Amino acid sequence: MVSVVLTDVRKSFGAVEVLKGIDLTVEDGEFAVFVGPSGCGKSTLLRMICGLDEVSSGTVAIGGEVVNDVPPAQRGIAMVFQSYALYPHMTVAENMGYALRLAGVDKAEIRSRVETAAAVLRLDKLLDRKPRELSGGQRQRVAIGRAIVRDPRLFLFDEPLSNLDAALRVDMRAEIASLKARLGTTMIYVTHDQIEAMTLADKIVVMNAGRIEQVGSPLDLYRAPANRFVAGFIGSPRMNVLPAVVGPDRRPVLAGGTAVPVETDLAPGTPIALGIRAEHWSSAEDGDRGALSGTVRVVEHLGSDVFVHLSVEGAPDPVILRIGGERMVRAGDILRIAPDPLSVHVFDAAGLRVPTRSPARSAA
Amino acid sequence: MTMTSAEGTPAPPRMSAFARKGGLKAHERRVGRLFLLPALAAFALVILFPFLRALGVAFTRSDLQTPEPVFVGLANFRAILATPEILGAFVTTAVYVGLATAGTVVLGLGWALILNQSFRGRAVLRAVTLIPWVLPSTVTAFVWGWIFNSRFGVLNAALVGVGAIPHPTAWLSTTGGAMTAIVITKIWFSIPLFMSFFLAGLQSLDREQIDAARVDGASNFALLRDHILPHLRPVLLVVIVLGVIGNLQHFDTIFALTGGGPVRATSVLSIEVYRRAFDQWDLGMASALGLLWVATIMPAAYFYLRHLLKGA
Repeated sequence: MVSVVLTDVRKSFGAVEVLKGIDLTVEDGEFAVFVGPSGCGKSTLLRMICGLDEVSSGTVAIGGEVVNDVPPAQRGIAMVFQSYALYPHMTVAENMGYALRLAGVDKAEIRSRVETAAAVLRLDKLLDRKPRELSGGQRQRVAIGRAIVRDPRLFLFDEPLSNLDAALRVDMRAEIASLKARLGTTMIYVTHDQIEAMTLADKIVVMNAGRIEQVGSPLDLYRAPANRFVAGFIGSPRMNVLPAVVGPDRRPVLAGGTAVPVETDLAPGTPIALGIRAEHWSSAEDGDRGALSGTVRVVEHLGSDVFVHLSVEGAPDPVILRIGGERMVRAGDILRIAPDPLSVHVFDAAGLRVPTRSPARSAA
Repeated sequence: MTMTSAEGTPAPPRMSAFARKGGLKAHERRVGRLFLLPALAAFALVILFPFLRALGVAFTRSDLQTPEPVFVGLANFRAILATPEILGAFVTTAVYVGLATAGTVVLGLGWALILNQSFRGRAVLRAVTLIPWVLPSTVTAFVWGWIFNSRFGVLNAALVGVGAIPHPTAWLSTTGGAMTAIVITKIWFSIPLFMSFFLAGLQSLDREQIDAARVDGASNFALLRDHILPHLRPVLLVVIVLGVIGNLQHFDTIFALTGGGPVRATSVLSIEVYRRAFDQWDLGMASALGLLWVATIMPAAYFYLRHLLKGA
């Protein structure tokens, strides 16, 4: 088990700077997930930790040692690739034992370690097969087995589930979660899927355009996103963002004229945006504070939940809200809704989240 | 709405007016055969017919004194077996084919590995590499003839210059020198084609597989042995077989450089057949030798075709 410390890590390809100064610490035994849209630099960062790409400037330290100039094989790491990267002409057993063979470990020892890992991953019946004779899920397990056999001090995963179908992805996610619990090794996992990030991570690192936007536990990011990017990226469906201005009493006034019952320290007249998640709305009566009405455009029945897309005056995008699965709503219905004031996020013009107070508390 | 008959059960749907007779596959096969016809006709005219003619001539005496071929059975083949210099041509051919094929495979692969790396000027170098391939073979022979030239050749100048040899050597007039010259010329001339095959193969190698091997601790040599060569195995097979066939058939640069000499040192089968047919006008003997020559190519061609058909 080791910690990983990145200090002002930068990477340029020619004139293009893809990583613009990354500072990050992944603690001993922590499961860190790098998440962000395509092209944000998360895979490049992982490859630099692995040693497959060189760092343009800054330092990568694993276990307290700067490893910028240490080749991948000597970093004590194992990596699981998106394409699995199995060796097609070797059997499952040869694939899993390859690193040990190169390291000169004796054959009996290799066989015993491969068999132990294979038993854990339910690969024991497949050891003599070639990768092409395996299903996608089995290949993924071989790739993980190949990493486990080496007994690394750090595991790296580069979007390992993105080539699997939806059902298999859920199974493999559970498998990786149990692997993490059993081994306790430090793991860094790259994905663009925020559900994987939320379910697996101890610590999520949200990246965008070569920078870290926010680092925190899944619930921290969900409850207190630092900015509009994180707010939009974490959580499904996306957080609703409604344009507003700060009113004379420091309460946000939505574009449609509705005042929302929270207070900010921003000066009256400042343009802001309100972020409210789908589950933080409730149905409202005519007299309720902060209530607004809209026309139902689309209804998505997911069984347990229903997501309703509502056109609201002054909001450029439909507002998505979650209602109970038993409630019947049809397109064209008019709904009157109000946000939960404690769960309203206020973002300033630069997109940063600013603190709010509930008027009830300030009045008290 | 469904159509129902008087009894109330659904009527079976009728056949569409656009249905192909005998099914879609049968129709495609009929069209396919039609497309084959022109190629088959050309093949019969320029390959099959001359081949069968030659096959016939191989069993006749047909030379300047016998303008009308006379059937002699296996006499030509017996004569070949009794002529040591012709048997020598088989050995010369084997040496030439072996050296030229091995040299081209090794150097072509090495060059492809270099050109598969990313570095400045790679595209230009790749383009320049193709030059030997587009040069007419007589020009190639002429260029190498000058390089090996005993009095003005650059090879002698270089070797004498660095003190490797005391005075210029007439390379093309020595047995070993002439063989080396025709082998080097052929290798130079064939590298672009082989390199292209290998490069295409290398480009289909999964980049992540190499990354994974690096993480597993593979050195450059281990990468070549455990990943690149196994990946290139099918390409290697095709390239070796094509190389053997091409070198067995090769004629022009050898004829232009050495004409089969000195004495018979570079007289491979193609040169031998040419001499019998067009120097000595012994068409019966030339055809018989040609037939044996074809027989030497057959095993290589068989492997190639089997590989092609298995791949299909």
